[in-house]
Amino acid sequence: MRTPLVLLALTLAWLFGHALAQVETPTPGGTAIVVLGSDPEHLNAAISTGYPIGAVGASLYSALVYLDRDGVPRGELAESWTVSDDDLVYTFTLRSATFHDGTPVTSADVVFTMEEVLAPNHGRFLNAYRNIESITAPDDATVVIELTQPYAPLINLLTVFEAPILPKHVFEGTDPLTNPANEAPIGSGPFRFVEWVRGERVTLERFEDYFLDNALLDRLIYRVVPQDAARSVALEVGEADVVWGFYMPPADLDRLDANPNIEVWKGLTIPSLYFVFVNTDNPALADARVRQALMFAIDREQIVEQAQGGLGEVAGGPFGAGFAYAYDEATDYRTLYPYDPERARELLAEAGVGDLTLTFVYDSARGAFAAAAEIMRDNLRQVGITLNVQPVERSVMVERVYGRDYDLSMQSFTSSGDPAIGYHRIYLSAERGANFVNATGYANPEVDELLNAAAGLADRDARADAYAEVMAILAQDVPTLPIFDELSTQAAAANLRGLLVRFDQRDGLEFAWLAR
Amino acid sequence: MSAGRGTKALGAYALERLVNAVPLVLGVIVVNFLLISLAPGDPVTALIGEFPAPPEYVERVRAQYGLDQSVPERLARYLGSVVRGDLGFSFANRQPVLDLVAQRLGRTLLLMLTTVVLATFVGVVLGVWAARRPNSAVDGGATGFALAGYSIPEFWLGQILILVFAVWLGWLPAGGFRSIRAEYVGLDAVWDQARHMILPVLALSFRYMAITTRLTRASLLEVMNADYILAARARGLSERRVLWEHGLRAAALPIITVIGYNFSFIVAGSALVETVFGWPGVGRLMYDSIFTRDYPVLLGILLLVSITVILVNLVTDIAYALADPRVRY
Repeated sequence: MRTPLVLLALTLAWLFGHALAQVETPTPGGTAIVVLGSDPEHLNAAISTGYPIGAVGASLYSALVYLDRDGVPRGELAESWTVSDDDLVYTFTLRSATFHDGTPVTSADVVFTMEEVLAPNHGRFLNAYRNIESITAPDDATVVIELTQPYAPLINLLTVFEAPILPKHVFEGTDPLTNPANEAPIGSGPFRFVEWVRGERVTLERFEDYFLDNALLDRLIYRVVPQDAARSVALEVGEADVVWGFYMPPADLDRLDANPNIEVWKGLTIPSLYFVFVNTDNPALADARVRQALMFAIDREQIVEQAQGGLGEVAGGPFGAGFAYAYDEATDYRTLYPYDPERARELLAEAGVGDLTLTFVYDSARGAFAAAAEIMRDNLRQVGITLNVQPVERSVMVERVYGRDYDLSMQSFTSSGDPAIGYHRIYLSAERGANFVNATGYANPEVDELLNAAAGLADRDARADAYAEVMAILAQDVPTLPIFDELSTQAAAANLRGLLVRFDQRDGLEFAWLAR
Repeated sequence: MSAGRGTKALGAYALERLVNAVPLVLGVIVVNFLLISLAPGDPVTALIGEFPAPPEYVERVRAQYGLDQSVPERLARYLGSVVRGDLGFSFANRQPVLDLVAQRLGRTLLLMLTTVVLATFVGVVLGVWAARRPNSAVDGGATGFALAGYSIPEFWLGQILILVFAVWLGWLPAGGFRSIRAEYVGLDAVWDQARHMILPVLALSFRYMAITTRLTRASLLEVMNADYILAARARGLSERRVLWEHGLRAAALPIITVIGYNFSFIVAGSALVETVFGWPGVGRLMYDSIFTRDYPVLLGILLLVSITVILVNLVTDIAYALADPRVRY
């Protein structure tokens, strides 16, 4: 009599096991809602470097290349490319692709966008353009970029975030800043524009004639949720599906992680460095021993744990530890400068610095900076330094710091995928008043020379040698105090699959799909 | 006949007030313009974003938006365009300010007017209720409610309401001004919109309910001790008629004042509430514009707010005359 029961059990076990063994296959359909923290100002990603515009732009537009999960450039509009032996001429062969209005994408669109729209209006593309001699289109499917000098990060600056391609026929002869297509964009990306309700949402739908594999989602909606706590709530109550780390309040992560309907991810994608500028206009801070003392006095571990909610790794060097080739274990800052208030006091005494009061300026909108400032104030008090903490609004912070009206200031710079793009500016000698560059007044011709050489080296081993040399110098001079490498995060609805397929979280949403 | 003359006088009075308001509005524009221009922070920095832009690029952007001109030059140009009905061009949004504000004004007015109506209705009813039985449990409750309303900031109350009604109970949406995942039409759309309005309106109106409650109670208590109330009671009128017809009408003047006064503050409160609830209105636009130093938008909104305040004050004064026959203009 038992046999039927056993048989039933065996059958069920087999069915269950079979179901488990089946790999989920991506299915098309459905709508996903991605959170933006602020309204995009317009939808022309070629004339702005704003984060929300870049986000929507990544789905609307395409570019010559994209960066894969590991940051390796792959062809997007470009089917392939070759580089001349002297590293000066890049030749791209284009795929056959069409814009959302049905016209084909040709090399003329690429040349026009770069020369007429990106170069005058897109600040980050300018970084590449300053090294560009000419951009030409020998035929419809070929683009040739000629450089004035070898520039290793060039390819990284041709992605959809730095060089989205616009349709020439829509923009030619118009002012790209006021073209109506900025409100109703036409790109060649995996999603096409449907509707934009300012302050509320941007709706896109799958572009059926996309030149690569079509997107899986029917609709992609970017929803604006300005208040950070409300973003986590929107996820929890199912009013949104994805919140990126850029918009994520770190304090909410543990709560979201405990929610079975939400998948939380933490990891390192595009390295981003948090550091403290030291103004050497202050005579006390012009002494390298005092700056070294600050390194010993600041408990970076505590800042990572308490101010950053653990979402960081104490910086191993002047370029963090996000790039293997720009980091040398021999001069690891964690070994050279452990938390050691006693050593800090000795160095300060050696430098003859007694009672020191320093102003600490930071952007008041950055919660982590505020918490870090409190920790540093406490740390420095123990070595006899009084920290006068001054939170100011961002635009005021920019004026104060780059006008060098400060002593210490916490900052975070993104590498944009290459130390030469994002980090060199922290150490290169710079003019007073230029924004988002070296604000310390530190100017070392040797460092300048080594960094400029590193930017031109395509060979990573050769680059690594240059960086090791720079690191050895900076480890002694410590013109800035590197604090930590930021870890990125993302929280998303657990049934939304296929995320995080590209270097930048905002990219590759055509691979996202909803599990039923 | 006297009523006719009164109406005419009132019309002339309103016109005179409007004419007088013109220099006031101009003054407001000049003061706002100077305050914003003198405040630290460069709009070009906000426009360009966070990377080292070459100086020639920065200067080009500055010139593009006319920010390379002197403050008096820019002020003169701005006044000139405002007189022509043009509020300028938003450099952050790259759109005419008027279009930008017009898109959002309706949503903010919806929030504000509902708030004013709700706060007035609940405030008056609670106030009358409390005043009828001074020092009773009801009165104590109303006074406690008023005290809480005074002390709780809108943005905090908004977050608590979201936590309770959207996260814990799941009854109401957490934000936005309509559903995004589903699209509704007709009555369903109205219902959807109403559901999205409940929490922001509650968050915004709580304080004004409290203010109105307290004031109604105080004002009514004073009036109810007057001789004519005693006379009305002596004539044998029902307590209900004594209270609502004789008492409240006399007590109405300060209540009307406070409604007008509330209105101006609700404009400010809406900036906070719209941000907490992701309500895409003018308040949010103002909040965003402060951070991007988008002067034309800020000036446009401030101009709109000052005109609203002037108009509301005028309406308040006219309401005085209608409520109290002794008031003459």
